[in-house]
Amino acid sequence: METVINEYISREFVRDPALLPLADDTSLLEAGILDSLSLLRMVVFLEERFGIAVGDADLLPDNFASVDAICGYVRARQAGKQEAAHG
Amino acid sequence: MGDSRAEKLLRNLEGVIYWAAAAPVLARLPAALGYRVACWRGDWLYRRQAGKRAELARNLRQVLGSELGRTAARQVTRDWFRFASCEVLDVMRLRHRARPLRRLVEIQGREHLEAALAAGKGAILCCAHFGSYNSAFSVLHTSGFPVTTIGRWQYKYTASLSSAERRFWDLVLARRVRRHRQRPNIEPWPGRLEVAALAASALRANEVVTISIDAPPLDSDEARTVNVPFLNGKAGLVPGVVTLAQVTGAPVLMSFLYRSSDYRHQVLEISAPVPVAGETVTAFERCADGVSAAIRRSPAHWAYWASLADLACLGLVPSGQDRPAAAIPAVRPALDSLAQAAR
Repeated sequence: METVINEYISREFVRDPALLPLADDTSLLEAGILDSLSLLRMVVFLEERFGIAVGDADLLPDNFASVDAICGYVRARQAGKQEAAHG
Repeated sequence: MGDSRAEKLLRNLEGVIYWAAAAPVLARLPAALGYRVACWRGDWLYRRQAGKRAELARNLRQVLGSELGRTAARQVTRDWFRFASCEVLDVMRLRHRARPLRRLVEIQGREHLEAALAAGKGAILCCAHFGSYNSAFSVLHTSGFPVTTIGRWQYKYTASLSSAERRFWDLVLARRVRRHRQRPNIEPWPGRLEVAALAASALRANEVVTISIDAPPLDSDEARTVNVPFLNGKAGLVPGVVTLAQVTGAPVLMSFLYRSSDYRHQVLEISAPVPVAGETVTAFERCADGVSAAIRRSPAHWAYWASLADLACLGLVPSGQDRPAAAIPAVRPALDSLAQAAR
């Protein structure tokens, strides 16, 4: 998952080659990689690629602060989805 | 050109009285009478505010050049003041689910919006700070379209305003407008990453999202601005409307509210969808062209003529001015009174 998300962000949003290769713990906000519109594209990508639904209340900087944070969020959503499906 | 402190205080006192006491009464009179009195107030301000009048005329000349003759420029300037007064009445007529205002507004192109929503991906209304845009959104919402607005309330972001002033604008303006929205305003500001995703969420629910694309960009948006033909020059604008449309699949329709020559009746025009496929800048140029055409057709409706700093920030006149703190006026009169006093 880290690789998929890292590659997507590197390909679509990183404009400054000096930031590549992108570390999984690089702050996407402080580095200016993620803004409002790129976050929207990110959300669409995550929903399509990982089959999760990102709710309005989840649109917090903490959930999208880095590749690691995004993966953590996606895993939490997937786990929540599985729990809901089983029970 | 500079007004004395006493004059500023007097002007602001007049603004407070007009917003808080006079306009609510005028809005309950027969429309012909109420809007006539509003025009008289506009004419009075036109005569009293020589500095502002001169700045408007100078800005019109600088941006439109010879396109506007001397007499026409004078008429536009006078109408700008009249419209500003009338727009306050529009806000006051939003009571009772905006019925008093709806009686005066004809919606043209409603079928385009209905067709867009029938496709199930919501609709984006691409607008400008043009005429009674906030009241227009309220009219649309109370006419059965679930409207949410992307935009900032100026009074919330002008650092120099006191809390009393903020409360005043919230009471007389924002509270009246925001009750006619599907969701709370989506307010872009540095660090608010969720703006576009919230707009997309409204569009996914098959709602209408409005975006005014003519706002001078914030410092934090500089990297995202594109220079597009606008009026007689090029303006640096943020093409977020196109990106939002491309990501969500929602159609973009242009929408402008024009005040008629009797000052009380208005026509809300909604266009057929603007093509947004392909290259972002090219698609955005079509939107900017739509705004330019509306301003050319009726220049007095455009809010930004009054501010050289905003026009400079847009790139329409040479720079050298301070950037506005938060460059979107809620409505023109809001800039006229308290907010200006605080500068």
